[in-house]
Amino acid sequence: MSSTSPGASPQDMQERAAIDRSVRFPVMFFFTSAAAWLFAATILGMVAALKLRVPTLWDACPWLSFGRIFPAHMDALIYGWAMQAGLGIMIWMMARLSRVELRNATYIIVLGHVWNFGVALGVLAVWSGFGNSRTWLDFPSMLWPMLAATYVLIVVTILVMFRVRRDGPVFISEEYLVAAAVWFPWVYVTANLILGAKGSAVMSAGVTVWYMQNLLYFWFIPIAVAIAYYIIPKVVGRPIYSYPLAKFGFWTLAICAGWMGFQRFYGGPFPAWMPAVGGASTIFALIGITAIAVNLFYTMQGKFSLMQFSPSLRFSLFGMAMLLLFAVLSALKSFIGISKYLQFNLFELGLDTLAIYGVFSMAAFGAIYFIVPRITGCEWPHGGWIRRHFWFSTYGILTVLVGMFAAGLSQGASLDAWDTPFEVSVKVAKPWIVALVLGWVFIAFSNLGFFWQLALMFVGKGRRSEGPTLIHVAPGEAASAEQAANVAKGTAHA
Amino acid sequence: MSEPGQNMNLDYQTEGARVSTIHHAVRREHAEPEAGDEPVRFGWLLIGAALLIAGGGVLGTYSGGFSQDQTYAFAYYTGAGPRPPGANGDDGSAKGPWIDVWMAEGKKVYGNCVACHQASGSGMAGQFPPLVGSEYVDGGTKRLAAILHKGLTGPITVGGQSYNTPNLMPAWNTLSDEKLAQVATYIRRSFGKLPEGESGVVTTEMMKSAREEFSGLPSPLPTSELAKLDPAAHLPGAQVDLETGDPLGAAPAEGEEKKVP
Repeated sequence: MSSTSPGASPQDMQERAAIDRSVRFPVMFFFTSAAAWLFAATILGMVAALKLRVPTLWDACPWLSFGRIFPAHMDALIYGWAMQAGLGIMIWMMARLSRVELRNATYIIVLGHVWNFGVALGVLAVWSGFGNSRTWLDFPSMLWPMLAATYVLIVVTILVMFRVRRDGPVFISEEYLVAAAVWFPWVYVTANLILGAKGSAVMSAGVTVWYMQNLLYFWFIPIAVAIAYYIIPKVVGRPIYSYPLAKFGFWTLAICAGWMGFQRFYGGPFPAWMPAVGGASTIFALIGITAIAVNLFYTMQGKFSLMQFSPSLRFSLFGMAMLLLFAVLSALKSFIGISKYLQFNLFELGLDTLAIYGVFSMAAFGAIYFIVPRITGCEWPHGGWIRRHFWFSTYGILTVLVGMFAAGLSQGASLDAWDTPFEVSVKVAKPWIVALVLGWVFIAFSNLGFFWQLALMFVGKGRRSEGPTLIHVAPGEAASAEQAANVAKGTAHA
Repeated sequence: MSEPGQNMNLDYQTEGARVSTIHHAVRREHAEPEAGDEPVRFGWLLIGAALLIAGGGVLGTYSGGFSQDQTYAFAYYTGAGPRPPGANGDDGSAKGPWIDVWMAEGKKVYGNCVACHQASGSGMAGQFPPLVGSEYVDGGTKRLAAILHKGLTGPITVGGQSYNTPNLMPAWNTLSDEKLAQVATYIRRSFGKLPEGESGVVTTEMMKSAREEFSGLPSPLPTSELAKLDPAAHLPGAQVDLETGDPLGAAPAEGEEKKVP
């Protein structure tokens, strides 16, 4: 089987089609409910940002207070959108890479409903004031065993598919998927158990940041990287540049990431080594991220023009660029002289949003743009909306990042000046919060087209065509991004 | 590529899956990805090495020797204690004695020193000399001022322990004379063992004269150069009234002025 020729044999095609058919319903279930949660999360995000800018707005209504809206927004974004999109992608990609059909679609759909029910209950509880004010773990504590169990039962099917995979070398994406599948329960259960043990309040703040950082590095980033490692060779038609380098990146990340978290509390009331270890491992993890970036760069070399046309490639590569940015910023923030001005303030929110939206969600969009036509049998209705989805998402996330960087810097400088009243640090950041409002407005707008198109695909009203929906190319004009790029270059397609 | 597939006796046959009916997206896609086996290049390892060094620097500098008792003090004013009167909108009417303000300011400046010398002045065994029980703190102010202004490099023995840390101490001459005077006062009065009757105060004037006097010396100052200074010599300048901060001038209080040459 040649790795670069499109199409491959009829057997291959039939096998792929059969796999796609077998995962169709669970994957579409996860994608559509994830998209619905994303919609809810963007609306809550806009309201939360607005409340941060104008705190007196609707102040008579406790349901619209920042303290409830903001955690509800984050939880909807993480557990509603990101985790479900990730699960859908994991199931499809693992089935494809293991060359195994999914046998228990109904089982997964049932569990998917349980997960949605749990998240809905949690978000509603947070929204109605029963959250427990631990960042990203705000759900009432009776909910976590249910969510953890549901997650484990879902990923068991992914692990089983990996176990019964067809012989052959394990592809690097599979390693990341298996790792992400087992890392999340570990991180989630550990954090919740320690928090449930009613230890010192200071330490529970520490456990919370450990959880946040590990959720990013042990779940969001591995899945985003798995997507990039899969989508790029698929679209470009080349093998990944170097397997040794990919393995090196994987293990660096695996070894370093678990130590992170406390660096968010430099100067906090912890033994000094805890933040120091967190900071150092954040810098060490950048080694792994750099290896990933180098590997993908060499895989892409000479083919970057395809990004102009292929939505999957464009989104997932953008996610990887943002991953490098995120890792570099995180590493810089691990130096105390810099962290001094960037911790305990809005910059952290900017960085978290960058990881969840800029890195993970963008890569996930790339995967969804690739997967959905294959499992629904129709093409995305409109290339123009994909383009708008990309650009307004980009504007949105960069606006949030730059705005929160400026806000955090002014806040941090003011916090660092011991003779300045605390109130000042709140006031100096206020003008910049407009960027947060604006960013979420952009993101909400960008996703309107995405929701609409996904809904059309879901009900089977996508475009019926032989050609893919590409950006900047009229439907049916080119059979692949590669062909479109060749046409653009003025060379005939062989 | 679009001729009907053979009967493969797979269970999706019931759905009539033949290649011609397989969706185009599946038909046109490349085969499942593989990974090449290009070796890792040496140049990339250098990036990794640089990051390892940076991370190790963070670990070494900030970890406080992995002691459970060492909480964070580095680069923060955690050791600063009560704020001086006059801060935070206080109109200053409730100011205490001059020396309290002077010491509190000194403690604030000492925030620069805690990373190595620790809030307690105990230093770090084998790495950074202590201030408690140090002959350079207990002795004359001239040597202390030289160290503050110029920094130190080279082997040194403090309190019977020898230290040979590279770049032992940075020069602090970027701080104003006032700040250096405050921190010198703070160090001497808090950690020093002063001779009977000496207040331990170093004034801005004294530090100013030290800055002029030592301007010709190299920075960081080799410990061999430091050894040439008289251990008991004090900086020239009038002692002050601890209550008001006014110079004691021609009629010094009993037992104070005579220590100053």
